[in-house]
Amino acid sequence: MNAQTAIPEVKTREMSYAEAIRDAMAIALERDPTVILMGEDIGVYGGAFQVTGDLVERFGTDRVMDTPISELGGAGVAVGAALTGLKPIFEFQFSDFAALAMEQIVNQAAKMRYMLGGEAAVPLVFRMPAGSGTGAAAQHSQSFEAWFGHVPGLKVVQPSTPADAKGLLLAALEDPDPVIIFEHKLLYKMKAQVPEGYYTTPIGKAQIMRPGRDVTIVASAIMVHRALEAAEKLAKDGIDAEVIDLRSVRPIDRDTIIASVRKTGRLLCVYEGVRTLGVGAEISAMIAESEAFDYLDAPILRLGGAEAPIPYNPDLERAAVPQAPAIEAAARQLVRREV
Amino acid sequence: MPVEVIMPKVDMDMASGKLAVWHVEEGATVKKGAALFDIETDKAAMEVEAPASGRLHHILAAPGQVIAVGAPLAFIYAEGEAVGPAPSVASAAATATPEPAPAAADAVVTTPVAAIAAVEVANGTPRATPVARRLAREAAIALESVIGSGPRQRIQKDDVEREIARRAAIKPAAPAPAPVYAAEPAAPAVWSEESGDLHVTTRKGTGTPLLLIHGFAADSAGWMALERALPRDLPLIRIDLPGHGRSPRRRIAGFADLARLVVQAFDRAAEGPVHLLGHSLGGALALALADIRPRQIKTLTLLAPAGLGPEIDGAALNGIARASATESLAPWLKRLTARPDGISHDFAKAAMLARLDPDLRAVQSDMARVLFPDGVQGFDLTAALDRVTAPTALIWGRDDHILPWSQALKAPGEVALHLLRGVGHIPHIEDPEALASLIGRHLRP
Repeated sequence: MNAQTAIPEVKTREMSYAEAIRDAMAIALERDPTVILMGEDIGVYGGAFQVTGDLVERFGTDRVMDTPISELGGAGVAVGAALTGLKPIFEFQFSDFAALAMEQIVNQAAKMRYMLGGEAAVPLVFRMPAGSGTGAAAQHSQSFEAWFGHVPGLKVVQPSTPADAKGLLLAALEDPDPVIIFEHKLLYKMKAQVPEGYYTTPIGKAQIMRPGRDVTIVASAIMVHRALEAAEKLAKDGIDAEVIDLRSVRPIDRDTIIASVRKTGRLLCVYEGVRTLGVGAEISAMIAESEAFDYLDAPILRLGGAEAPIPYNPDLERAAVPQAPAIEAAARQLVRREV
Repeated sequence: MPVEVIMPKVDMDMASGKLAVWHVEEGATVKKGAALFDIETDKAAMEVEAPASGRLHHILAAPGQVIAVGAPLAFIYAEGEAVGPAPSVASAAATATPEPAPAAADAVVTTPVAAIAAVEVANGTPRATPVARRLAREAAIALESVIGSGPRQRIQKDDVEREIARRAAIKPAAPAPAPVYAAEPAAPAVWSEESGDLHVTTRKGTGTPLLLIHGFAADSAGWMALERALPRDLPLIRIDLPGHGRSPRRRIAGFADLARLVVQAFDRAAEGPVHLLGHSLGGALALALADIRPRQIKTLTLLAPAGLGPEIDGAALNGIARASATESLAPWLKRLTARPDGISHDFAKAAMLARLDPDLRAVQSDMARVLFPDGVQGFDLTAALDRVTAPTALIWGRDDHILPWSQALKAPGEVALHLLRGVGHIPHIEDPEALASLIGRHLRP
């Protein structure tokens, strides 16, 4: 798969999604002394998914800090550190555990700037390994982007490629306010060319991964790749799908999606979070309210996670979230006027 | 991507249609708007036009197959477009069963989609996608005049685009509309005359056949409801008038000219005596036929026949012949039934669908001008009615707005007269059961 952020003139190197994130953190630690890493087992253990790796050896325990097994405590320290001028990158072992730290994320980090009249800011990055597919069952497989996307004061991004994982993390550090990065666990091993050195990927900009004329598929994280796989199959039957990588849940890139739907007249939203009240529901409503409405030639369809906790059984786990064949079938239905 | 060719829904209660014949072969070039295939529905037979130009591929249905409304029949690829495998093999496989045995021919091939499609009928405002609404609004086209090809007859973007293109194509052919009662005879519309015999279809059965002659601006498909109400084994012979149904578009000089063509068709089609039934203009022609071939007519049934007086609603005839859109056709059609709500919107739409060809409308307009100059019946058959020897029945709706039933009073005493309550000009569509039972009584004694 191709890293879409890569610019031809820039030197690139193949690295995995996890390596790209580590690369971003190393660059940030090097160029900005106020950047620190915090999280459970991110030091000598190298992180639950080995993302921080050897960074503790390179930058020492003052900059790469293991926190106790208390998400609420760790997140609280990170918020405090950010308020006092540091730029912490706080890693949750699983995004599911952010539920334990909701007070700090939602009531403190997201609110400070507003409640203190702009006198204070919380320049903090939360890294959250998310999503299903690893056999980790109900408490370790969820997709909470809609939860956090619902909170003004937070920014929420979901990189789908190694290049974006690096660029969005560096952009998050430049942002003066808290940013949550959902890293899909199944993507950690995905390899692609990633630009070397420092660059940022703008937060709030979606990316057209595959241009098309017949149907717009808006997807995020791992779903982008499933949508691309479906699009290739559809192309064999002459159905030309446009695949958009949402990249950012808050803010959402209205312009790109609206322009695409105006072109294709059909919209399919694909997301891993629970379908009801999910990100796709928001995009669907956004289009229904927008000038793109008058260009719709079919109902808007959503494919999202099942209305159930993620099962442990691998077959059921797969069935609980959208897979490429379902995306292909839904897009085909839209184009063939079956809905 | 290829354009899907589907079984169209052309009637309110149509769930499926029988594919009669393809006019284009697999791989051949088609032109948007050209005849692509014929269908026979429960009520009508009609030609369906190609929705796009290109090459026809993946023909999924064979002649004789009954296909659910909305199911795909084939695909049209743009010129130069790579032809892929048949799109959506799953539903294609469901429809592309080999040609069924005659007994199974009526089994409906259903796809899940089509099942949905057959359920809903638009109530009030037509179903249309937002983009279809916007395009119709911008082009000042009433959605009611657009035939929807989407699920449950939903009007899609390209349905409106097709309608816009159709209107654009018609405009030059139809200059300033001639007034209904033109003081000067309007110049004949330009259409190329065809030659050949009138189209005759038959239904096999036992006993003396019933020969049916339809009225002006109708065709043999209009008998469908009556045919279902008549005894199943009654053999039928149906004649399509020139410029109507599937008969060639021949120019006629007058009523006698028309009657001669009908007699020729009769001589070719009938192997012995027949029961004869004609409606409206077809009634007048039946009377003329009975007058010319008296020994071959066992009984004569005249349904609101023309030719028994000068009065006729000429405006309605001209309006129907000329209408180029559902909006202009529907008001005239509503005069056909006893009450205006007797003609549903879908009925008008389907009727218009069969009249999309501007040439067909020109042919019929010319015929109306010849037969009913200045909105008057230019021929008189009262003398023929006096001469008829076969047992004759006159059946008329009391609420006929096209031909007044009082003209029936010119009939001699031996003619049976039935005046139907709550029925207008088309008893065979308004109350086929009652009509069939009357016909049954008349044929049997």
